[in-house]
Amino acid sequence: MADRAGTAPLPLDPRAVRTAATAGDVEDAVRQCGAVLQEVGAVDGSYTDAMLERERSISTYVGEGVAIPHGTLTSKEAVRHDAVCVLRFPDGVDWHGERVTVCVGIAARGDGHLRLLSELAQILLDPDRAAALRAATEVDEVIQLLQPDGEEDSE
Amino acid sequence: MPEKTVAVASRSGLHARPAKIFVEAAARQAAPVRIRVGGGKAVPANSMLGVLTLGAGHGTEVTLEAEGPGAEEALAALADLLSRDLDAEGAEGAA
Repeated sequence: MADRAGTAPLPLDPRAVRTAATAGDVEDAVRQCGAVLQEVGAVDGSYTDAMLERERSISTYVGEGVAIPHGTLTSKEAVRHDAVCVLRFPDGVDWHGERVTVCVGIAARGDGHLRLLSELAQILLDPDRAAALRAATEVDEVIQLLQPDGEEDSE
Repeated sequence: MPEKTVAVASRSGLHARPAKIFVEAAARQAAPVRIRVGGGKAVPANSMLGVLTLGAGHGTEVTLEAEGPGAEEALAALADLLSRDLDAEGAEGAA
């Protein structure tokens, strides 16, 4: 555990958490992630297109019912500050054959996304925490679960 | 245990498309392969989440380790993948 890539909290604004979203398909879900990132001022409107382009080129499904939509290399100028958003889809979204119940949208400048992905992956590798994230119905719960040191007790 | 260290050549680092290509290739190997950065904890190379925890960027040196029959071939194949710019190879029409 001493060698974790970083322990800074994920840049998650409580306003960027939706615990009961619904989406008809992948594109709909990705668009909603882009819209939320834009709402909190992290990206401009063109970032959503870059997220869609990335998703068409390769699925951002990572396992544990979680997808991590993010832009392409060429979209970095569309990012104003690093941010993540969390959209929970209790009914699930068919993600190219996988069932996704949580989307973590990621916006980062430079190589910042690598740290964010690493933090997030470390959290999701704990099956209990991943399950708790899929089941979380409160914004505070989501924020707590995504803290790097949120292992205290999350039930 | 046989090991091989190689720098990640993909422009955007080991995530998204490069990570997917790498993880899928690792899953096809006869020998289980693990990957780590420096003296860090090694993770299964066939796990997307595991590979993402490395936070390996362009130029980051990663070490592959494998054991048993097929280990050398697996290390050679995966090291070769990592030493190529997988972003460039797969990016249809991306400027």
